[in-house]
Amino acid sequence: MTTTEPATVRPPLPVKMVIAGGFGVGKTTAVGSISEIEPLTTEAAITEVAAGVDDLTHTPRKTTTTVAMDFGCLTIDPTLKLYLFGTPGQERFGFMWDDIVEGAVGGLVIVDTRRLDDCYAAVDYFEHRGIPFAVAANAFDGKVEHTLEELRWALDVTDGVPVVVFDARERASVRDALLVVLELALTRTGE
Amino acid sequence: MADGTPPPDPAGPEPGPKGQPDPVGPAPSVRPFLVTAGRVAADADGRSMPVETQVVATTEGIDALDRLAFERHDIVAVCRLPQSIAEIAARLRLHLNVVRVLAEDLRAAGQLTVHVPDSGVVHDASVLRRVIEGLRAIPDSRGVTP
Repeated sequence: MTTTEPATVRPPLPVKMVIAGGFGVGKTTAVGSISEIEPLTTEAAITEVAAGVDDLTHTPRKTTTTVAMDFGCLTIDPTLKLYLFGTPGQERFGFMWDDIVEGAVGGLVIVDTRRLDDCYAAVDYFEHRGIPFAVAANAFDGKVEHTLEELRWALDVTDGVPVVVFDARERASVRDALLVVLELALTRTGE
Repeated sequence: MADGTPPPDPAGPEPGPKGQPDPVGPAPSVRPFLVTAGRVAADADGRSMPVETQVVATTEGIDALDRLAFERHDIVAVCRLPQSIAEIAARLRLHLNVVRVLAEDLRAAGQLTVHVPDSGVVHDASVLRRVIEGLRAIPDSRGVTP
C-alpha cells in the first residue's frame, strides 16, 4: 500500500477480480450472489476498436464509450477485501478495459451456452493480457446446452484455462467458480 | 449535490420504474470537466488510480466539512469509512474520473488519504491464499451464520 499521509483509519487491502461476459449472461446476478452489499453501478470508460476499418485510412476506428459497470465486495477480514467488478463485453467490438482491469488478480468469463459468441472478446482480452481466468457456463434453468468438452472445443481455450458449469444465482456455486480462478492465480505465482 | 438534486440513498441506486436499479441515474446538469476545472484523471504515464483504490477521510477533512462544498464535501463525508474510488462514484453518482481528480485534490489538501494498492503485494501468494481461505469459509447461502 502506498500511504501518502498518516491514515486516520487504515483501509483494507483491496483485491480485485473481474466478472466478464456478454449482455445478460448473469454477471450482476453472480456479483450479487456473493457480495456483502447490494451491487452498485457506476460508469466506466471503455475504448472500443470497431471490427471494421475506416474506408479512407484503413485504420481501425477507435472510440471511447462509457458502459455501466456493476460491482460488489466481500470483506475477507479487517485488512483484506475482495472486490468483484462486472464488466460488459461488447458484441462485434474488440475493447480495452484497462481502466477497470489494471491490477486484477483474475477474471471469470461467464457464458450463456446458447450464445457463445458473446464471450470471445472477453476470452481474447484475458488471454492477451496474461490475466488468470476461467470460463464459467451459467446453467440457466439448471442446465447447459453442451458438455464441458464440447464447450472447451467451441471456445477454443488452451488447456490451462479451466471451464466450469455454475449457477450465478447460487452463492456456493459463484464462490467455487471464483476459487478456481484464485487457485489458478496462486499456481502462477510459482509458490 | 451540485445540480440541486437530492443526495442519493447511500444504500445504493434508487429503484427504477420496474423495480430495477436505475443503471445510470439522472443526467447530471454539471459536466464532469467543469467539476474538475478541465483536468483529467490520468497521470503523465496515462495511468490512473485503480477503481479499487481505498480512500479515507482524515480528521482534518472531517473538521473541514463545513467549509467544503458540493462534490468535495460529499466525497469527504462518504469517506468517514474507507471507500473505493468505484464506491464513491456509485454512491454519489459521479463520474469515476471526477472522483479520481477530486480525491487527489483532497489528498493534497490533507483532507483524505488515498491508498493505491501495491500490485506486487496484491498478487503475492500469501495474499491470494488468505483470499482463498476467506472465500472457502463463507457459508453456502445467506442467512446462515458461519
